Formats: sequence, structure tokens, C-alpha cells
Amino acid sequence: MEIVTYKEDVWGREVILGVSWDLLWLAIVVPFVLIALHAVYHAIRKGSGRPSSSGERVSRHDRIDRLFHWIMAVSVFALLITGIFPIIGLNFSWLTLHWVAGIVLTVVVAFHIVRSLFWQDLKSMWIAPSDLKELTDAAHKPGKYSLAQKSMHAAVAVLTLLVVASGLVLFALIDTPWWERSNALSEDTLGLVFLLHGLSTLALIALICLHVYFGLRPEKLFYLRSMVSGWISRDELSANHDPKRWAPEKSA
Amino acid sequence: MNNYKHIGKDFVPPDIVGKVTGKAKYAEDFRADGMVFARLYTSPMAHGRVIGIDTSALEGMQGIVGILTADDVPAMEAPNAAILTNLPVYIGDPILAVAAEDEKTAEDAIARIKVHIEPLPFTVDPLDSLVEGGPNAREEGNVFARSSEGSGFRTIKWSAEQIADFRAGKEPTGEWVHEWGYGDLEKGFADASVVVEEPFVTIGYAHMSMEPRTAMAYWQNGSCYVYGSAQSQSFWIPGLARLLGVEQKDVVLISENTGGGFGSKIGAYPIAALPGWFSKKIGRPVQLRITREQEYYIGSARVGFQGWIKMGFATNGRITAADVFIVEDIGPNATGGDGSSAGGAISLVYDPGAMRFRGVPVLTNTTPRGAQRGPGQNQIAAVMAPLMDKAARQLNIDRLEIRRINAVNNDTTVYEEQEPVTSAYMKEALDKGADMFGWTGKSKRPKRDGNKVIGLGIGQGYHSAGATGFDGLVRITPDGVIHLHSGVGNLGTYSYAVTTRAAAEVLKCDWEDCVIERGTTEANLPWSSYQAGSVSIFTHTRANYVAAMDAVEKMKQIAAESLGGAASDYDIDGKQVFNVRNPRQAMSYGAIAARAIQLGGPYSGAVYPDDIHEITKRSVQNLAGSGLIGVAKDNLEQKGVIPGLACAFVEIELDLETGKYEILDYVGVAECGTVVHPQGVAAQMKGGAVWGMGMAATERHVYDPQNGLPANVGYHQCGIPTYLDTPLHVRTAAVDLPDPQNPFGARGIGEPAMGCSVAALMSAISDALDGHVFGRTPVSPDMIINHVAGREQSFEPLQTNNY
Amino acid sequence: MASYDVMPDVQLFQPASIDDALNLAERYGRDGWILGGGQDTYGWLKDRAKQPKAMIDLNGIESLRGIRQRDDGVEIGATTTLREIMRDETINADYELLALAAGRVASPQIRNAGTLGGNLVQDARCWYYRRGLACYRAGGNICYADSPEGMNREHCVFGASRCVAVSPSDTATAMVALDATMVVQSVDGERQLPAARFFKGPDTHITQMTALRPGEVLTAVRLPSSWAGSRFYFEKVADRNVWDFALVSIAVALKIDDGIVSDSRIVCGGVACTPHRLRHVEKALAGKAPGAETAELLAPLASEGAKPLNYNHFKLPLLENLLRRALRA
Repeated sequence: MEIVTYKEDVWGREVILGVSWDLLWLAIVVPFVLIALHAVYHAIRKGSGRPSSSGERVSRHDRIDRLFHWIMAVSVFALLITGIFPIIGLNFSWLTLHWVAGIVLTVVVAFHIVRSLFWQDLKSMWIAPSDLKELTDAAHKPGKYSLAQKSMHAAVAVLTLLVVASGLVLFALIDTPWWERSNALSEDTLGLVFLLHGLSTLALIALICLHVYFGLRPEKLFYLRSMVSGWISRDELSANHDPKRWAPEKSA
Repeated sequence: MNNYKHIGKDFVPPDIVGKVTGKAKYAEDFRADGMVFARLYTSPMAHGRVIGIDTSALEGMQGIVGILTADDVPAMEAPNAAILTNLPVYIGDPILAVAAEDEKTAEDAIARIKVHIEPLPFTVDPLDSLVEGGPNAREEGNVFARSSEGSGFRTIKWSAEQIADFRAGKEPTGEWVHEWGYGDLEKGFADASVVVEEPFVTIGYAHMSMEPRTAMAYWQNGSCYVYGSAQSQSFWIPGLARLLGVEQKDVVLISENTGGGFGSKIGAYPIAALPGWFSKKIGRPVQLRITREQEYYIGSARVGFQGWIKMGFATNGRITAADVFIVEDIGPNATGGDGSSAGGAISLVYDPGAMRFRGVPVLTNTTPRGAQRGPGQNQIAAVMAPLMDKAARQLNIDRLEIRRINAVNNDTTVYEEQEPVTSAYMKEALDKGADMFGWTGKSKRPKRDGNKVIGLGIGQGYHSAGATGFDGLVRITPDGVIHLHSGVGNLGTYSYAVTTRAAAEVLKCDWEDCVIERGTTEANLPWSSYQAGSVSIFTHTRANYVAAMDAVEKMKQIAAESLGGAASDYDIDGKQVFNVRNPRQAMSYGAIAARAIQLGGPYSGAVYPDDIHEITKRSVQNLAGSGLIGVAKDNLEQKGVIPGLACAFVEIELDLETGKYEILDYVGVAECGTVVHPQGVAAQMKGGAVWGMGMAATERHVYDPQNGLPANVGYHQCGIPTYLDTPLHVRTAAVDLPDPQNPFGARGIGEPAMGCSVAALMSAISDALDGHVFGRTPVSPDMIINHVAGREQSFEPLQTNNY
Repeated sequence: MASYDVMPDVQLFQPASIDDALNLAERYGRDGWILGGGQDTYGWLKDRAKQPKAMIDLNGIESLRGIRQRDDGVEIGATTTLREIMRDETINADYELLALAAGRVASPQIRNAGTLGGNLVQDARCWYYRRGLACYRAGGNICYADSPEGMNREHCVFGASRCVAVSPSDTATAMVALDATMVVQSVDGERQLPAARFFKGPDTHITQMTALRPGEVLTAVRLPSSWAGSRFYFEKVADRNVWDFALVSIAVALKIDDGIVSDSRIVCGGVACTPHRLRHVEKALAGKAPGAETAELLAPLASEGAKPLNYNHFKLPLLENLLRRALRA
């Protein structure tokens, strides 16, 4: 299977056209295989009982961060729908919706970066060598975010930055209310940007599949709740986190 | 009225039947045993350097016979066009060729070959190259000056401000390379009561020959046989021999019919030598068919102008001074001397009291340029006409009158050296045209009806129309047949046949007794002209005249030798040589021919004049002993410039809402001395009129400046005028006054026939728009719409290759 | 760079029935090329800019040819030639707009061979695209025409979305103005689309000009009787008067009661990627009497919302002028 597609540039030289969209099915099938394997594995292993959601509540996500997450989620889905559907043959006028959603995503990502740099505990998301113990030692509990969550965040962060950055470059090359399009990039560079945009999109699709799956896993559902309403219970905290490494405030 | 037997009479040229029935053979129609088909790989880039050719994908492909690259053919010194090149300088520049058993296989192979080309800077507009920091079309420089003192590359840059001023219509202050003039220019302008000053652009466009420059070649007994598409025939041989690296005697050119040349096939062009080289390499006959698209790349285009002109007019309308500056778009191969020719045309047609021409020929990476029907003269004719009108309006002189006042006549002296003309009757042409057209009446009619406006225009065309020093060759065989050897070539004007009628006239024979020997250089042709520059009629009626006179003289000598008396006692007529005093003492042409063979020496061609060309000598050697040979070089006296002149009157109805106009009436008058072939002159005047209509309105030459891409690579995109873009009737006439320097009074007409047309249309458009001067050809509907709507034009001032 | 100019190997099918043609169209899908008059076919193939595996020639199918009366109008078979339409009595009597439009297509030679179906589904005429460049319309990722130095005099002023080519069809504007129904068949059956929904712009269909899906064939066009005998106006302005595409064209149908316009269709060609309907002008025209005054009043509306490119702003006044002429006529 091809990963990259090629075309001839204006002078007949072979240049990259972009990602091969045949990979789309791979980006969906692979995560679903992993999901199936994980689900089977969990079903066989049978986890311990679930912590209670009642009792004292502690704060996990501020309102502003939840808002950020969901705006981001909506814009990402809007981008995927507007970007991918025409490729699979569902034709509609997608380009304006796509770049508007792209601008929303760019703004919220920029907001998130600034907020996390100056107003949040950056270290809580930082993957430290000690986190690796979580893999081998079930008793080793994480701080606010587990290694899996940190890894997911890191991957999503990198891919989102790539897709946003490449998207912004492409945005600069189309007609908008503010500027007229140009052919400022050489066609081989343009091809690379399209490739990057496509590859990061495909990887994001795979990751989003996994993210949604884990968000909906019964034993992790409280995280989804916390992303909606902001809190987790004291029980959930102590069952999944090391209070020494993460001591959240009581939720209002 | 003269009492010629052939001159001034219509006739049926022998190739007509083949053309009407489709049996006429063009280069592409010839086949040879074992012939293979070659196709070209041409440059996809406007300027680049080939750094690798990968043909590995062809391995194992059935039917491939060979590959020819630049390494297999002689290199050409820049900026001359190469047969094949590793330094392509325009999109479509040939890089390699593949030969295969059939065309499809050859094209499949071409598609698989990978040619790695490093892109180099390029330009498609001379001003973009002339501005400081602008790209050069060739690594050697951006200007190539050709002159008798030496030619060479230059790098000339103007400051951004100088370019901006030029675009704004101011007198150019940047460096130029060519300059000539005469008279006191300053005084001329000081004496003027009206001065007009305008910038102008004329976009060069394709020659559009219907037959692409296909060629086929093979080698036989050390000679290369080339079946080509040639505008001339004998004249091709020296160049073709040089391109093939052989002696002239070892080249045979077969060119029975040519589907148009218009200046693009004058001499042997490099690609015509490719089949010869390929055939030599692979040992099989090779046909290289040039596709329509490729013809637009390598088939050349007219030189484009970006210029500025200033003219002074005295109160009586006489032009006191003309100052013209032209930036020439000379393509990548530095071809065309149109700028200076344009200056020459101003000097001749309008006879300014003082004049200066300055020019700078700038290289571009567009299709190679070449002489095209009135190269220079016709561009400037289009520029001049509305300016003459503008001056006339300002001086309150009738537009016809201002042209009459300045009209070239027998006393006019022209060009830098202020040479005389052989004869010139522009005033008579204008009067004849005005009368036919009804100028006075039409000028008085109301102009506007709603959104429709009538525009009247007058145009004048000129090209020098004659050359001397070429050879004529006639032969009479014992069967009484008169063989008229024509090396002119058959490009479709019938000049090859028309000019031989001069010999028939001298020999006083019936046309049915004549055979024209032509079509292949193996038919033993004399050294002939380039059949360009409107020269054929003047030049070859002279050459055929001197050859026929030589034959007549020899016939008289033979008669005197056989029947007694002196040669001066004899005359000819009715295919007999007879004693003037005793007409029954006579010999038939056949008997004379038989006797010539017996006598040998100059009569049979065993001896021939020293001053004839090497090619003619070889033909005579081959023919020696087959009949009576008349052969001579045209050493008749010739002094001064031989003008071919024409004028046109046109009436258009312009629709202000659509920018389109309809041509309601067109009258073209030829001033070409005696009319030798009335149908031929009428056809030239009509064809030239249509060409002018194309140049004025529809013919396009568009390049994308970012990528160097040409938009016009097909008939449709190039916008040749169609039958509904031209009037149903084009009325033509001729002044028909003899020129003293041609035995029959003839001069040429091909090129001025077009110049007068484009000029008349520019004049009419300007007239319809209340004297607005676009200063540009073509004037497209969008320009008229924008002008009428009061909008800016969408192109930059002086931008070229944009329509 | 190759020049080609030789036909590639391509399988030619000449079905005698529509069912056979539809089966072939289904079998070859995107690799099948539906052949009508061939006037927008051989150039593509000889240049190898399009490389179908099979050509499905519709000319042997009798049912696709001819003009038939129906209860609610007429039906024109897709392979009816433009010349036949120009000369047809019914069309001239009731739908003269179409006869006028067909009569301005290309040249007599092309009209003799060219079919209505072919004229309606013909591809874009952008010179960059026709050169075989891998632009958006050819599945690429760039437009060469709409760039700061792009030579785009013939391109669109409305409805661009990455691609700026225009709909080149002269009869398409007439179809939209006459509210025609396009009959499209495939092995799955028949579907009918109003002309206005048949032509697609690049915002939704950047690599095709119509709503035709692979395997589908335009088999006929139906003209409803509702617009029969209306007051029609057609005009096309092109650089050349023969064998050229519209710089701007206009097709107008007016229903007039007592000298007042009760309903109208005003559709322009050469200005957008699809036939461009001037709905706001139609609305403004309702209740007015056609004539010079109305023409002057409404003409400026024609170019509202236009976004000209580098070299085509002349299309705005030209469009206004054509509307002016149509309403004045």
C-alpha cells in the first residue's frame, strides 16, 4: 500500500501530492483492532471492583479547561467531517467550514498552550522516568495523570500541532476574506505540507478512536464525567491516583 | 494595357489539381522502405540545464529503434537554435528524440524517459528582464545585438525608475544598442506645430503555418535525402548541408508543396536536420513528425515590440521629425531584426524630415522569434495609423489628406543613407482606394446609432520587395518542350510558377508547351532566392528573364549557324526561330535544341558562365547535352530601395456594449508595379487582409509569467480569425504602374498586403472611440469594454505576451 | 515533455441498446468514457491528459437520438446533434432559446458532430487544466490560474472555490433558463435532476462539472411546457464569432402578462463554474415592464457579488451590458 501519492509539477517533475487516502481505512481498522484486543484482555482479566462515585468530590478539571476540551473536540470533529467526507465521496461545500473550524481549533490550542505554560502545573502532564513504573508495578499510582493519559496527551499534542501548523500554511494559500491566494510555495514544499497535514490527520483519527474508547470504558467513565462536570470522587481519586503526587482541592 | 502573352494574365498553376484533389504530397506524406518514426522529448521548463537522462525504463520495450541526444548532433554556438540541446531556453526546446517502428511506441518511450533538468532563471517579458535585478533569459546575458561590426551578448539593465517611466509613456532613458537616424531631429521638432507622443506594444504571435515542420530523411550513396517543409528550395541547400555536416552536393531536398511558412521556413532550420542525423545513426530512414503543439513551440513567432514614439507635424501635415525607441522581444535565439526594419518603414512610408531610431533587442524564454510577414513593418504600421489620425485631428486635416501629403513617391529618399526608391505610387494607391471605398461620402455620414459606432480607418503597408543576383535556368529539349527550372520552392503563393512565366513571355511560347521543373533539387534547379520578404516576383521574373534572354540569343546563334546569316537577322515566335527578312527560313525550337546538343559548348550547357552559383553550375552540368540551355545570373542594373506598398480602407461598426466590431467594408489597393498575376495579387491582398484582422483583434500569445508556460499551443487558443470575424467580401485593386527596374515592371506585395490591413483596423477602432489610442495590438474586446466603462485595463502598461 | 498526438490504446464499445451501454458504464466506472460526438474527447485522449480504458460510444443507440413531444413538453435525446436542435421546428417554435444557444456553439462542423449531451457535460476550458497539469480539477493540490501572476482572462468571477474555471457550455445556460430536467440513467435505474442541480461547482465537485456519478449516463433532457413560448433572449460574446467559448453569455426567459414580467429566468455563462442564475435580478424584475428604463435600473445588479481575478474584471461591465440588452430587447 502506498503512503504517499505523487503528481507531476508544472514542469513535469515528480513531486509529492499528499498522503494516500487509502490509508484511511488503516487509520480506522488499526485502532479498532487494538480496542478489540484491549476489550477482550480486560474482560478476561476482570478488574477489581469499581470505586464509588459518591461521597466527597474533588476537583479534577476547571470549567475553563473543560470548555477548552469540548470546543477542541467539536472543532476537531468538524474538521474531520469537513476534511474527510468529501474524500470518501460525500460531496458538500466543505472548504469554508473547514477553515473556520481550523481557526477555532488554532485559537483554543493557542489558548491552551498559553494557559498551561503560565497558569497550570506543566509538570503534571510531563512524562518522567519514574512514570514508567506504572507499567510494571500495579501499586505505583500516578499523580493527576496516568502514564497512559500523559502519552495520549503528548501524542495528541504533537499531532494537533502538526495538523494545525500545516493547516495554517495551507490556509495562507487559499482565498479568504482577508487575503487572496498565492502560489507562494514551491510545489514540492506544498506537497510536503499536504503530506504532513494528511499524515497527522490520519494519526489523529486513530488516536481519537482510542481516546473515545478509553473515555467510554466503564472503569474510566468517571474521567469522562470529570471532563463534563469537573469532579471525581475521593474514592476514585484514591483508587487511581497517588494522593501524595496529586492532592486536588475539594470540589465546590 | 500591355500586350504581354503571359504577364498580367491569370493561369492555372500546375500544382492546383493536386491541392484540390488531396493528391499533393507534403513532407509528412512521404514514406521510404524501412522508415521509422521519431518523436521529440522537449523541454518542460523555460530555461534549464539537463543534468541527466535516464532511459533505463525503455529496456525491453518492443519496437524502439534508437535514441538521439544533443551529444549525437553538432553543437550550435549560443544564441543560435540547436538541433537538440542540453541547455533548453524555452518550453518546447527539443532535448532528445526516440525512433520506433510506430509513432505510438515512440511516444510511449518518450513518456517513460526521465530527463533531470536543473531550472535556471527565466523571463517571458523583456521589461521584466531589462529591469535591474531581473532574470536573464540566457546565462550569457539578456541582450544580443547583431550587427555587421560584430554580434554579441550584452547584459543591460535599466533602473526600476527608468522602467516605470517607460511604462508611464515617457521617453526611455535606459541604455540601447542600436541607433541610426538622419536629418536634424531637434530642428524637426522645433518646426512642428503638433507633436504626438505615445508608448506602444505589439504582441508577437505564432506564424501558424498549417503544415508543421515535419521532415523525413535517409542516406543513399553518401547523399542525404531530406523531405522537408521549406519556404524556399535551392536557398535551403547551403544551410541544410551545414547542419548535416556535408557538402552542398551531397544534399537533396524534396519539397513539392509547403503548407505555409510566412517567414518561419525561409532557410533550413535546425530541426529539419534531425532526421538526417538520426538516420545516419541507426541506418534507417527516419520521419520526424512535428505535432501541432510542437509547431507552436519550435515554429517561431513574430517579434514583439514595447516602444515609444514621438512625431512632429508641420501645420500643413508634413512630418517634420520622428523619434522611435523599440524594445524588441527576440525570444531565446536572438532572431529577428524587426525593430530597425520598423524604423525603416517609418522613414519610407511617412518620409519624416528627420528621424532617429533606437532599439534594444532583449532575449526572452518564449518561443523562438523569426521574421513573420512584414517583420517590423507591419507592427509599426499598426502603431502609426492611429497616430497619424491623432495628428490629423489636431491639425484639422482630413485623415486621408495627411497620408497623401506624406506619401512616398518617386522622389522620396529613404532610410539612414537616404537612398532613392525604384518607384513608388502611394498617393495613387490612396486615391484609388479612397475612390473605391467612397471615403468622402462615408466620412460625412453620422457615426453613432445607439450603442453602435461606425469607425473608418486607413492603413498603409510597406516591405522592400525585391532582390538581385540570383540565377535563372531554362532548357529546351528536342521534343520542343520548354523546361522552366524553378528553385524558388512552393510555399503556396504560386510564385514558383508565376515567375517562370517571365521566361515563357520572353520565349513567346504557349504555356502548354512549358514544364516547370521543381519540387526536388534533383530536378536540377538554379540558385534561387529565399522566397521571403516579398522578393520572389521582382527577383525571379528578373532571373527567369535573363535566362530566357540567354536562350533566345543562343537560339538565334544556332539558327544563324544552321541557316546562314547573322544571329541579329533572326527573331522568335510561334515556337520557331525565323529570319526576320524571310520568315520561311526558320527552325523549330525542337530542331534548335537538337542542334544545340550537337554543337555542345554553351549551347548544350557544357560551358556555362563563371558567375553563376555553385548550385546552378551543378544543375547545368547534370543537364548538359539534354537540350538548349539558357542560364544566367541576374546582373541587371538595380539601384535604390524596391518598395512593395499597399493601402487599405476599412469601415467597422463597433458595439460599445460588447467590445466587438463588425467589418462592414474593406478595400485594399496594391502598389506592386505591374501586376504579373492578377489572381495572385488579389489572393495576397485578401490573405493579407485576414492576417491583419487577426493581428488587430484575435491572435494571441499568452505566457504565464510565474511558470513560463505558453497558453497558446493549438489552433483554438491562438485565435486565428474565422470566417465570421472577417468580411464576406474584401475588395482589392492594384495601381498597376510599372517599376523601371524590373523587365516587366513588377514588384512584390505579400507583406504590405497585411500591414495595411492591421493599420486600417487600428485606425478605424481609434476613430470609433473618438480618437482613443490603445497603443497596442491586438485590441481585444475586453480592452474596448474596459475603455468604454472607464475602467483600468487589467494588464500593466507595456505588459506583453498577455493576450 | 512528450507531445503525444497519437491515440492511446483504448477499447471501443459500440452498444446498440441503452441497457448494454449502462452495463458497460457500470463495468468500467471511472475508467469508462462516454462518447457522443467526440468533440471533447479526442483532444483529451490524444494528449493523454485523460486515460480511460474504454470508450462507450452512444451513437448507435437509436433511442438516445431525436426530439419527441411529451404531454408536459418535449424530450431531447442526448445524442441529438446541435445542428438538429438548431433546425428543429418545435424547438424553434416553443423553445427558441435553446435553438439560439445551440446555434452559437463552436462552429458548423462541430455542431454537425457535437451532441446536446456532450455539450452539456463537456469539461472545463481552463488552459492550465487542458494542458494536462495536475491542478485541483485534475485531482491535484494547486490552482495555477488563480495566482498573483495567473493568466485568467477567461476565468470566473462568481462561485470560485480553489478552481476558477468556468462552465463552457452554451446550451447549459439555456437549460437552466428553461427549467429543464436532466434524465440520468444507470444500471440502478433512472433519476431526474433539475438542470440547476445538474451542474456542479468546485466547492462540492472540484474534479467534475456535473452531478453524474461513475456509471451514470445523461440520456435525455426534458423541457417543460411551463416555459414554452416565453419571450427569449440569448447572446454570447466571445473573442471570435466562430469556434470560441463565451467570455460572457446570457440566456433569458421572460413570462410577460399585460406587458409586465410575471416570472423570469436569467442565466449567465462564462462567469461562474456553473450556469450562473441572477436570482436577485429575477426578483427585482418581477412586476416591471421590460424596456430601456428597467434595463438601466437593473443592469448594475448583474455584477453584484462578483470577485474578479487579475485579468477578467471586464466581465463585470460586459455582464451588465448583456443584461441591459436582454431587458431592452
